[in-house]
Amino acid sequence: MAKKTGKPGKGPPAPESGGYCQTCGLESGVHREQHTGEKRECPYIGLAYPELRAGHDRIYFGPWRKMDAGPADVVRAYNQIGRHLNSIERVLGGLDLPAARRDHLKAVEAYRLGDPRDDSQEALRFMDNALSYAHRVIDDLLHERGFPSHAPMEFAEWYDAVEVPFRDEW
Amino acid sequence: MLPLERYPKEITLRDGARVTFRPMVREDVDLLWDFFQRISPEDRMYLREDVAKKVEVERWARSLDYDAVLPVLALCGGIVVGDATLHRNRTGWKQRVGTVRILIDPDFRHRGLGTAMIRELRHLGEKASLHYLLAEVIEEQQAAARAFEKLGFERISVLQNYVNDQKGKLHNLVVLLYPMSDADEEVLY
Repeated sequence: MAKKTGKPGKGPPAPESGGYCQTCGLESGVHREQHTGEKRECPYIGLAYPELRAGHDRIYFGPWRKMDAGPADVVRAYNQIGRHLNSIERVLGGLDLPAARRDHLKAVEAYRLGDPRDDSQEALRFMDNALSYAHRVIDDLLHERGFPSHAPMEFAEWYDAVEVPFRDEW
Repeated sequence: MLPLERYPKEITLRDGARVTFRPMVREDVDLLWDFFQRISPEDRMYLREDVAKKVEVERWARSLDYDAVLPVLALCGGIVVGDATLHRNRTGWKQRVGTVRILIDPDFRHRGLGTAMIRELRHLGEKASLHYLLAEVIEEQQAAARAFEKLGFERISVLQNYVNDQKGKLHNLVVLLYPMSDADEEVLY
């Protein structure tokens, strides 16, 4: 990964034929692992921007945010955030969405400040901010196409997350 | 330039309700009047105009000027369920500052409509080359304030006992500011 340069990450490896879910981009093997070996339909099928939603949620529900997270979990999440931001940038492409573009820039800025290898005391906070700004961009993209905001907790079961934080929408 | 060609814009709320956004036109007087009748007097108090009088709504419709005030209506099933306005000054020292106001039908609150309307005004503000968007909410309107903050508005001030309701009771006013992409650029007139 390019550290503190123009691009936040190099992007995901090219998927092998049949090795990745066609909808969310997750490795097929991981799909099965997450669900005690059962094959279940990807919950992002039929939704707008499935790969961005899944990319976000994979990080959001990842081990780096748990109390027993180790340094490797945090670095892995940092790299995932970088790839996620690249994916968003590709989708934003030539779209005329200045607010979303600025939020993406804020996400990249937070991402650069949050490199856990820099021994920053605030790395986790910056990573969290980067993910939060990224979420806002996804919501902007969805709004533009007339869809409701992305609600990660609707996919919590897929990630075996049980905690349901209070959600207040206006 | 305001991108009015994006209307009518249809959005779907999380519960599946379909809502259409479009600018208000003169012929909307009755729809808007019906909408204001469903709003409690406490909420109506936050509006500049006295919409308890239909003549005020009619006057408002007659004097529509999108360059000064752009009202975007949210309609569902033929009735108005939300009203978001972007206020701008053509000249003067605040010509780069837009003020936003949003009023949501009580039956459509906490369903994501308010958030979608903020998002819509944020987009319009960006396209209108504004530098800041300003919103004011009564401190008791916590869900609205949080929705603004979630979309990047910063709480810059809480003015103590600044506004009063119809019974004369004083309330704190929360001022929220959304700095936009060109906010640091100097403007030459």
